[in-house]
Amino acid sequence: MTMAATATRSAISPRAAVLAYLAVSGIVLLLMMLLGLTMRLAQAQWINVQPDFFYVVMTMHGAGMVGIAGLSGAAVMWHFVRRHVPVSTAIFLTNLVFFLIGAVLILGAGFIGGFGAGWTFLFPLPAHSGSLWSPNAAASYLVGLMVIGVGFLLLHLDIARGILSVYGGLGAALGVKQAFGLAPEKDGPPPAVTASTMVLIVNILGILFGAAVLVVSLVNLYVPSFTFSALVAKNMIYFFGHVFINATIYMAVIAVYEILPVYTHRKWKTNWAFYLAWVLSTVFVLTVYTHHLLMDFAMPTWALVAGQLISWLSGLPVLLVTAFGTLTIVYRSGLKWNPAAALVFLGVAGWSIGVIPAIADGTIAVNSVMHNTQWVPGHFHTYLLLGMIAMVIGFMTYLTNPQPRYGFAWLGFWLYLGGGIIFVLAFLLAGSESVPRRYAVHVAKWLPYDRMGSVGAALAITGVLILVARFFAGMRAAAYAEDPT
Amino acid sequence: MNTRFMSSRLVAATGLWAILWFAPLRLALERDMAVHMIVQLPLLACVGYLLAVALRRHEPHWIAQGDWLGIPGLLLVIFATSFWMLPRMLDAALADPLIDLVKFLSLPLLVGLPLGLSWRRMPLLGRAFVWANFIPKLGAIGGLYLAAPTRLCAYYRLDQQAVAGWALIAVAVALGATWFVVVFVGWPAADGEAAQTCRAPQEAA
Repeated sequence: MTMAATATRSAISPRAAVLAYLAVSGIVLLLMMLLGLTMRLAQAQWINVQPDFFYVVMTMHGAGMVGIAGLSGAAVMWHFVRRHVPVSTAIFLTNLVFFLIGAVLILGAGFIGGFGAGWTFLFPLPAHSGSLWSPNAAASYLVGLMVIGVGFLLLHLDIARGILSVYGGLGAALGVKQAFGLAPEKDGPPPAVTASTMVLIVNILGILFGAAVLVVSLVNLYVPSFTFSALVAKNMIYFFGHVFINATIYMAVIAVYEILPVYTHRKWKTNWAFYLAWVLSTVFVLTVYTHHLLMDFAMPTWALVAGQLISWLSGLPVLLVTAFGTLTIVYRSGLKWNPAAALVFLGVAGWSIGVIPAIADGTIAVNSVMHNTQWVPGHFHTYLLLGMIAMVIGFMTYLTNPQPRYGFAWLGFWLYLGGGIIFVLAFLLAGSESVPRRYAVHVAKWLPYDRMGSVGAALAITGVLILVARFFAGMRAAAYAEDPT
Repeated sequence: MNTRFMSSRLVAATGLWAILWFAPLRLALERDMAVHMIVQLPLLACVGYLLAVALRRHEPHWIAQGDWLGIPGLLLVIFATSFWMLPRMLDAALADPLIDLVKFLSLPLLVGLPLGLSWRRMPLLGRAFVWANFIPKLGAIGGLYLAAPTRLCAYYRLDQQAVAGWALIAVAVALGATWFVVVFVGWPAADGEAAQTCRAPQEAA
């Protein structure tokens, strides 16, 4: 009997639950991409969007994309980790329900209540709307985030419960002994368990800090005389936000560890370096968030210097072992490329390339010039759109491809890749010319970048639409199929 | 569990309650806001917990069956503790001996006792969820005490309020750190579980 078979019984099969996650993710991803395109078209002056509505769209796009990255990443992680530890399908589905309830509250806050303070809800901005939105709209947004946080907390705690029941401690599941040569590498946990352990450690801590600052923000909303330190609140928000969005990549990368071995017919090898990389990244992800505050002069200097130094190192350990592992597993493997393998391979490439401009921006001297430019959406769209999302779509394609007929999928892949490259380059080029980010209205000199970005976004959306449509076409059959082996 | 065990727990609970009610100690504990909140109130809950340990075997069937997964009992605990976290209630307990007596009865009977009975019925996931909510909320309340522009309790000074705020944050940090260390290092597996080490997953898969 496998661990999966011992999981809690639920009316919906585990595989159907994963497909439900991916179906919601596919739809919301496309809708959020359309919101992103709306912003680029407005900046390009090809359509007319009122500035106050632009910020509503920006807030919804940001919150929606972060949320859907978390949800789809959780689907990848849960699908593979349940091969090794007992987890509850009911809790997994509960997270989906909480997510949908939270999403309705957030969308209502934006499109009905006009909330447009940015997805980071920086204290005390939700309470100072300049009459653009009401305290109730801001509360709806904050409560929506809390509800989503509760769902993810339950999911992570359940996975932690499963991991502890098999490994006894999170340290063992992370491979700490193997990392420091205290136990044989062959006895180390599988990559999916190591990655899931890292994710749940950082995400539980992040969610707890996020919940605390959300409570404070809610109190401030209705009792404005309660004024919390804005700097402490910003630290807490960016700790939560940084950890959560980073964890989405670490969840999605499990798809690389599990899918490439299937197509290359090679095992993903784990050794002490692999485990050490995950241990180090656990520490770095928890400590690096201050690189989001490099422009905050009130921050202690040591914290900013630490933010710079750790951000040079933060993503590298896991990225290096993953990129190296990807290249070695593919090299001379006789792999017959298909869209699923190509997408997860692209995911590693997009992640690796996107980290380079991110590390540049993590340098104080560069950050003081570049941080409020489009350089920043340039780098994070590179590793999220062409990295994390590529891994997730690769997973969707993998699940729905037992009998491959790849014609349309390849078309979708190349449109997505080509459009995505144009789209992120438009941001990076504009950033290098100091075009500011988060401006609803652009001057004539900036328009070529906006128009280039709009074209790229339209192409990428078309590609994703094809890939997601193909997923829906194969979903019913996939519900009763086994994973490709 | 024998009668001696039950009697010793009952004696311990009653004794602790009586010591806490003893006027010089009661006044000393209530003189400072932080001590009142972080020492006296939890100790009163401990009285109820000891009662639960003593009376667990004699718990009526209908309570055990009605307390589904320990959720009703835990909800009672949450509502009762939330009530005594209100600054106005701390004030009332100091101003009126009758309210203080209500505090001395309700914290053992509505917090400690149901906690002791329901906690064991709650699945591991539920317990982890309660801890995960309790710890950050404790920190957030501490932050709010620090952020409050005025005195929240008429009987305590602003500096005492600030100390209480920092103390709540310190307790949250200590609990969070302890929790993290325990789950990171793990605990000795019981009997059959001992063999289920890192090699088990590969076999399971």
